[in-house]
Amino acid sequence: MFFYGFMQRAFQASFLISLIAPMLGLFLILRRQSLMADTLSHISLAGVALGLLIGVNPTWTNIVVVIIIAVLLEYLRVVYRTYSEISVAILMSAGMAVALVLMSLSDNGATLSINQFLFGSIVTISEQQIGMLSVLTLLIGFLYIVFQKPMYVLTFDEETAYTAGLPIKLMSVLFNVLTGVTIAVIMPIVGALLVSAVIVLPAAISLKLSKSFIGVILIGILIALIGSFSGLIASYELGTPPGASITLVLVILFGFATISMHVLSLLSSKRSFKIKKNS
Amino acid sequence: MHYIQVKNLAFQYEKEPVLENISFEVNAGEFIMLTGENGAAKTTLLRNVLGLLKPSKGSVQLSNKNISGNPLIVGYVSQQVAAFNAGFPSTVLELVQSGRFQRGKWFKRLDEYDKEHVRRALESVGMWDMRHKKIGELSGGQKQRISLARVFATDPDLFILDEPTTGMDVHSREEFYKLLKHSSQHHAKGILMVTHDHDEIRHYADKHIELIRKEDSPWRCFSMDSCKELSKPLSSSR
Repeated sequence: MFFYGFMQRAFQASFLISLIAPMLGLFLILRRQSLMADTLSHISLAGVALGLLIGVNPTWTNIVVVIIIAVLLEYLRVVYRTYSEISVAILMSAGMAVALVLMSLSDNGATLSINQFLFGSIVTISEQQIGMLSVLTLLIGFLYIVFQKPMYVLTFDEETAYTAGLPIKLMSVLFNVLTGVTIAVIMPIVGALLVSAVIVLPAAISLKLSKSFIGVILIGILIALIGSFSGLIASYELGTPPGASITLVLVILFGFATISMHVLSLLSSKRSFKIKKNS
Repeated sequence: MHYIQVKNLAFQYEKEPVLENISFEVNAGEFIMLTGENGAAKTTLLRNVLGLLKPSKGSVQLSNKNISGNPLIVGYVSQQVAAFNAGFPSTVLELVQSGRFQRGKWFKRLDEYDKEHVRRALESVGMWDMRHKKIGELSGGQKQRISLARVFATDPDLFILDEPTTGMDVHSREEFYKLLKHSSQHHAKGILMVTHDHDEIRHYADKHIELIRKEDSPWRCFSMDSCKELSKPLSSSR
């Protein structure tokens, strides 16, 4: 399988996504924005449909649409602070509705292409996509290293961050935009319906395993690599969609981590109870 | 030197006024306690001071500079800070170290001087031995202590504290007030603290602002009569 060009590109793409996903996923979870990734992926479909309709490379229209919506999402997050899921519900449905309407206006080719964006495909990963993903990985890695301290404080408590003099609105908008661009680039590979799972799950698993911030990122990368490589192999061997295979492996790992940590905590509380009893 | 200057501040939620005619100053080296019954908009007043809320009338000015002419550094402990996300992936040490970022370390490594500050801050609240614990595993009182350690690690010029001693025992509270008093008296720190422990703090604070309900208002609106100087017992040079 490693002799096929498309599989080599699939592994390269998976490797790069595994580096990015835990960084973005952790901040999304801690800022209670896990569903934002899902919203942006649905909006992405509208961006893709627009590109196919007007005959422009859908990746570019997708990036533009997602950036606009990422800014709007931050505005709605502040307006509906108490019920932030309202903005998610509105934009998710709006994105899907616009995508369906635009698709109906274009010919059958667009419908076929949109299927590829919905479910993702490893066969179609191009050198250009690998190039874009590499640039994005370098950019996110660089931004993480430079801004990890401000982002740590922003994520811990926005009011503390504001008092400390951080430009919290600008940081939030830029974070949303970066998440949107990442989703737009990753979506053709893993599919719009599962891209958020691929971003959020590695961080969600490593949150259970590590007690330090940097530990969550590093373990998250390891989890993402295990999940995506084994998912890809399963996808190749079984002929299943890559996004779905990777997601299922990650969900299994999540279940395993949850049960293991629960059992460990039960054992340790039993042990400390015994020690107390004996003393 | 004024660190905070509030002039005729009024604030309303939607159309309902909650604060009126609030004027006071917090100077360098001054320890001011802010009290009032439950729901007296004490936190709202602090949020106005910090710029998290915008007054509907009047003004709030936070000094840009401290007494040495350097940018003023504000340390804030919010009322809910002890209720922070239990799942936040951070050790006690990481969290308290983040207090030093404000000291020009957003994009620099913490040096030995910073680490010494962090160690002293953690020791001052008795949490040094728990520095490697995950913050989600701490009790409410311990979370409160590390929030205070974080603000002590920052070593701000101005402390703004919203009921910081909730969940602390009497002895720890007394130690904390002594530390604040020492910081204001000997290091010219300005302190504005919301509290319910009026009787405990009056021996340490310099002034007292009490938010009082306006009887003539149809709303649940609060004002202050004055910023009273607190008299100290002769023996209390604490």
